[in-house]
Amino acid sequence: MKRTLISLLLIVALVAPLSLLYGAETIKIGALYTMTGRGGQYGKDSEAAIKIALDEVNKQGLPGGAKLEVIITDDKNPQYAVSVAKRYITDEKCKFLFGIISTAIGLAVTEVSKEHKVIFVGTDHAGTDLTANKFQKYYFRSSNNTFQSMMAGAMYLKDELKGWKKIAYIGPDYAYGRDQWMELKWALDKLGVKYEVVGEYWPKLYEPDYTSYITAIMKAAPDVLVNGMWGGDTVAFIKQAKPYGLFNKMKYLHVDAGGNYEVFAALGGDMPEGLILSARHHNNWPDTKENKEYVQKFFKATGRYPTYAAEGAYVGIHMIAEAIRKVGNANDTEALVKALEGMKIKCPEDPPGFTSYIDPKTHQIVQVQAIGVTMKNNKFPPAKYMLGNFKVYPAEKLWPNFEYIEYMTKVKGK
Amino acid sequence: MDINTFIAQFISGLSTAMLLFLISSGLTLIFGVVNVLNFAHGSFYLLGTYFAYQLMQLFNNFWVGLLVGAVGAGVVGMAIEFFFLRRIYGRAQEGAFQLLMTFAFILIFDDMVKYIWGTEYKTIPKPASLMGSLNIGSVTVPSYNVFIIITGFLVVIFAWYFLMKTDTGKQVRACSLDRVMLGLLGTNVPMIMTIVFGVATAMGGLAGVLAAPLRTVTPGAGVEFIIDSMIVVVIGGFGNFWGALLGALIIGEVLSFGILWMPELATVLTFIVMIIVLIVKPEGLLAKKAMGRK
Repeated sequence: MKRTLISLLLIVALVAPLSLLYGAETIKIGALYTMTGRGGQYGKDSEAAIKIALDEVNKQGLPGGAKLEVIITDDKNPQYAVSVAKRYITDEKCKFLFGIISTAIGLAVTEVSKEHKVIFVGTDHAGTDLTANKFQKYYFRSSNNTFQSMMAGAMYLKDELKGWKKIAYIGPDYAYGRDQWMELKWALDKLGVKYEVVGEYWPKLYEPDYTSYITAIMKAAPDVLVNGMWGGDTVAFIKQAKPYGLFNKMKYLHVDAGGNYEVFAALGGDMPEGLILSARHHNNWPDTKENKEYVQKFFKATGRYPTYAAEGAYVGIHMIAEAIRKVGNANDTEALVKALEGMKIKCPEDPPGFTSYIDPKTHQIVQVQAIGVTMKNNKFPPAKYMLGNFKVYPAEKLWPNFEYIEYMTKVKGK
Repeated sequence: MDINTFIAQFISGLSTAMLLFLISSGLTLIFGVVNVLNFAHGSFYLLGTYFAYQLMQLFNNFWVGLLVGAVGAGVVGMAIEFFFLRRIYGRAQEGAFQLLMTFAFILIFDDMVKYIWGTEYKTIPKPASLMGSLNIGSVTVPSYNVFIIITGFLVVIFAWYFLMKTDTGKQVRACSLDRVMLGLLGTNVPMIMTIVFGVATAMGGLAGVLAAPLRTVTPGAGVEFIIDSMIVVVIGGFGNFWGALLGALIIGEVLSFGILWMPELATVLTFIVMIIVLIVKPEGLLAKKAMGRK
């Protein structure tokens, strides 16, 4: 059993004794992240971003000199995560649950949050369910859901790609992969785009060998291939598809996780040019002081550039701190829920003139989506390509979408 | 289906099959000769990859990485067998000890890799000479996939020669049949078992390095192959080297054509094949009914 227990005390050396002297409260946040295996990078990046955010929160201060403490445990699987979440609440007296990479685990832990009436801030898992058909009032999400990505992707397909008709999809055979395809098709239909599906492919998550999928896709000859993989699966797919010339024969759209920095770092010079990608945060967009500072802080702390998981964790800590400041303490959960609903929170990914906010009805953070194409860029080594030529889609057009929530509830149930 | 589609899909299946064979042949060899179900076999795949990665940071040469990855994994494998597994042979409930010990090594190696090399995805580039693609008629096949297929067949030929034509090979086969009798005849059975464990884990390491330019080099990658390798071994027959080859070819091609014809069922097809084999010939396609004394 792997258990990483990291206590992050947020008091600078001089302040800590004073806080203890005056009995300042320690507010515990119980976090769960994947710290091992393929998703381990997401957990590690989230951990680093939490430290950065806690440092900032500490400098700004909390009511009554309170301090935040974050406990992180490897989430492993839904059953284990549920048992840890319960322990966080009953034994550790955590005021908040936090984190989680996998939607499946997020769905399990949101039930604990609901049952115990403890606020759960989801920072990375993107399954739309949690802020749609599985909504419960104590859940909030600090990064976008897959619907926001796929709605933007559909808009891109409608506005930027001309003359395409045939479309194929490949995505991991579980809720995350299946939902993205359902969402994209729904969005294309709503936008009045006419298309013909020529193939749907469902490799298992962490499939190591896509060779046969690639030759089958090439046989189907779509004009556009949409990919719904994440992390190492994307890296393996691109590595294996490139020598077949797949990217020269069709447009490639991969907008929820395809543009995550880890993919650029792992592929280096192997990244093909002209792929249409996006992610929940870009290290080189927007070109604002806030984003640059955030990326550089992360680089200074870790010696590497952040994946998008880091931003969700970073924003999540600031959301909690801001809610505590508004309420004055961390004990009145109902007041904290009210404080979080509609909260405006400046994120590194916010372009000039826009501030992300929490939709009060769904508790989903509402953000713009920027979709770009791969082009050479050596500014974030070891990546040799990054995204450029971004098309930006307004936050309000992406979420909330109650018509889709109704559709999803009908399809998937409450 | 036109002939070009058939060729493309068949070669894709062959490429998948050869990597599966390289991994599962080591697993089945260890089971057949050493009588250990090595759950940690994927970890040697992982170690081979990271050893190669490290060497390539120093020398930037794929072939040096390939050699060091395979040999390094083999040396670690021999050490594991010599210092640890050997101590549980013949114990009551040896099977349970094997399971616990080899599973423990999965966790140990995984964390070791994470602490030494970090959690970020690593890249092992293909050698420059294998970057391009070949055209067979109008079918495009990446040169590197052809290289994997050829390497797989070379391993088959080498293994056939070693097992069937050399004295050591005969001793290995005898060891798989009756190690007590072999020992009574004066053969150093523990040494044979250590060598076999080393060769088999080196094959796992070799597969890891060969797969690395096509796949994701990351902690945990080794565990992902154990299920597929087990299916191959079950289909071919536990402990049967040639069964691993047959099992890998069946799974590779079933998967490849399944993706073309029934993409919704592609991932289930391998399990369906395994169930059919288990019903029709439970001991595996190439296994003899009596496995011999151990």
